[in-house]
Amino acid sequence: MVATLVQLIINGLLLGGIYALISIGLTLIFGVVEIINFAHGEFLMLSMYASFWLFQLYGVDPYLSLFMVIPAFFVIGWATQRIIIQPIIHAPPLNQIFATVGVSMVLQNAALFFWKADYRTVRTAYSTLSLKTGGLMISFPRLVAFVLALLIIAALLIFLKQTYTGKAIRALAQEKRAAMLMGIDIYRMYRIAFGIGIACVGAAGAILIPIYYAFPTVGALFVLIAFVVVILGGYNSLVGALIGGLIIGLVEAFSGFFLSPHLKEAVYFVIFIFILLLRPVGLFGRA
Amino acid sequence: MKKSIGLFLASLLVSLLCISPAVIAAEKVKIGALFPFSGPLALLGQESFNGATIAADMVNAKGGLWGKKIEWVKGDGVDPKKAMTECERLISVEGIKLIFGTYSSSRSYAASEVAERNKVIYWEQGAIADPITERGFKYLFRTCPRAGQFGIMAVEFAKEVIAPKLGIDPKSMKVAIMFEDSLYGTTVGSSAAQHALKLGMKVVVTDSYSHKTVDLSPVVMRFKAQGPDVIIATSYLEDGLLFWRQAKEANLNVKAFIGTGACHGMPDWAKTFGDEANYIFNIDPAVGINPDALNPKTKAVLKEFQDKFNKKFGHLPATHASLGFVGAQVLFEEVLPKAGKVDPEAIRKAALTVDIPKGGTIFGFGVKFAPPVHPAAGQNLLAHPALMQWVEQQMSVVYPVEFGVKKPLIPLPTWEQRAKGETSFIQ
Repeated sequence: MVATLVQLIINGLLLGGIYALISIGLTLIFGVVEIINFAHGEFLMLSMYASFWLFQLYGVDPYLSLFMVIPAFFVIGWATQRIIIQPIIHAPPLNQIFATVGVSMVLQNAALFFWKADYRTVRTAYSTLSLKTGGLMISFPRLVAFVLALLIIAALLIFLKQTYTGKAIRALAQEKRAAMLMGIDIYRMYRIAFGIGIACVGAAGAILIPIYYAFPTVGALFVLIAFVVVILGGYNSLVGALIGGLIIGLVEAFSGFFLSPHLKEAVYFVIFIFILLLRPVGLFGRA
Repeated sequence: MKKSIGLFLASLLVSLLCISPAVIAAEKVKIGALFPFSGPLALLGQESFNGATIAADMVNAKGGLWGKKIEWVKGDGVDPKKAMTECERLISVEGIKLIFGTYSSSRSYAASEVAERNKVIYWEQGAIADPITERGFKYLFRTCPRAGQFGIMAVEFAKEVIAPKLGIDPKSMKVAIMFEDSLYGTTVGSSAAQHALKLGMKVVVTDSYSHKTVDLSPVVMRFKAQGPDVIIATSYLEDGLLFWRQAKEANLNVKAFIGTGACHGMPDWAKTFGDEANYIFNIDPAVGINPDALNPKTKAVLKEFQDKFNKKFGHLPATHASLGFVGAQVLFEEVLPKAGKVDPEAIRKAALTVDIPKGGTIFGFGVKFAPPVHPAAGQNLLAHPALMQWVEQQMSVVYPVEFGVKKPLIPLPTWEQRAKGETSFIQ
């Protein structure tokens, strides 16, 4: 029984790591640009395809493809902000929502058109590798996802705390008008923040492709949980996204095992609502 | 004079208008074809209809029905709502008395409601949801098997083949059942669970889950904790793939794994897992049964169907086209000749007298429709799917035994054995 409990904790934490990984970029965009990016799942889908094709056509290992996917998705994010989001940055929130929903539709259908509805995955030697210690199984690719999620969060925190650009982005998130008065080029910062956000989800796609499958609507499977995690964490806190992801992962693992796998989504939503009742701004949000 | 010519022409025109539809109707036997011809299900909807057209071609080549050629009047059931309005149109505008369809269960369920209300025959060839024939309809007939039978067959196979092979009593055999929680999975999974309990097997765990989940490790762990001999699974593609992957990660080993259609019958399943998809069982209506199980006449029909289909469409018919063919063939060769005309009452009476024994359709199953008082009114009670096994990217029929082209390979190798390329099949 102890072994089972430990295994459940491992499974929950590893799953939570994946949720956190996907939520980091969303948190950043949500917190800084104050745009609810409904196309987040589709950017994840695109990056999964990117890693898949790099592997399929050029034999690039998915983890190695990170070095190509991250810069490419930074540029994609930057361009998306410049071309689609920037012109509507002062529009009512509803218009912004429809713009990002539109982007998500276009990307989904483009993927369907170009790559069909087939399920694509990368079969590497480590895809289903498990590290076995004392009767416990630790999935290697999930462990990698977990560690990389922590590393990305650490790197982002250092960037935000230590560099001028990072400080400017934080200033913008805290008080837009004051940031403008201090001479910060807010549109440039928005573009950088959006670029970093999309680069993060790009990284997530490359890390997930050995575990999951790329298909045109794969983003929808993850994006709802990502929104839950972001709101639970307090919508602009990276540490909050990590803790939120881990909580949801653990709740799923335990409720799925002890109650029923088909109730696990219901259970985490109940806990989510309960936490929001106690702390309406989320776990790490500022009141 | 001018006036009388005008009158004459007008009356001629009127009489032409009145007569011409009657004349055309007298030359053709018009049958409605209601399928999703466009939209997301168009591919398999069209394929099902293609199979049916071959049956019509074969009858027409022999002079048609009562000396008249069969003609299809198409209705496009893009979605359930459209299927209803198209059914309505076929009946009221085209004057159709017999509708053939639909492949998709949700469309069939909706459209057959309209047909029943209008006392028009609805002939279903490929939609498998159980509730379609659970409404006590009088004008609805279905030639293909029902989803619930997939679950029952999985349990029967475990009892009749797997248990003796492993040398264990079926009553002490541990069965784990998993299914995705939409209508499809729930129907198949719960019928498997009920049947296993009825036979006194040990159902150690029954788990349902949303097919949209991104983590099935709870299911894997619950199964592992109970150590089942057999897993019966009803999955869509993404969850089926996820489960098998996580089963490997967690080193979950069972003696047999039986999928019941969808995921485990798709080429994507075998393509994704390669050798790791080997020796999994799957239940579906199967075209590849042993031809020796068919009676000589049906054997010849199968050959003719395959040749004609290949010639017309450029590839061999798969399951859906074959279902369409069987549905249409039973209708054109057994029912309509007996009915004598396209009249719903006559067709109903004729259909209820149909009695084709085993080996009499190209799927090997026979045809006998349940009467209106039966809980599955209008269902072909002799229809059943077949059980196949994956070996090297190919599925071969292994059960029912007389339909099998290969012997089942049991037990499933453990993940350790798979890694070494070993097997330990019981002869």
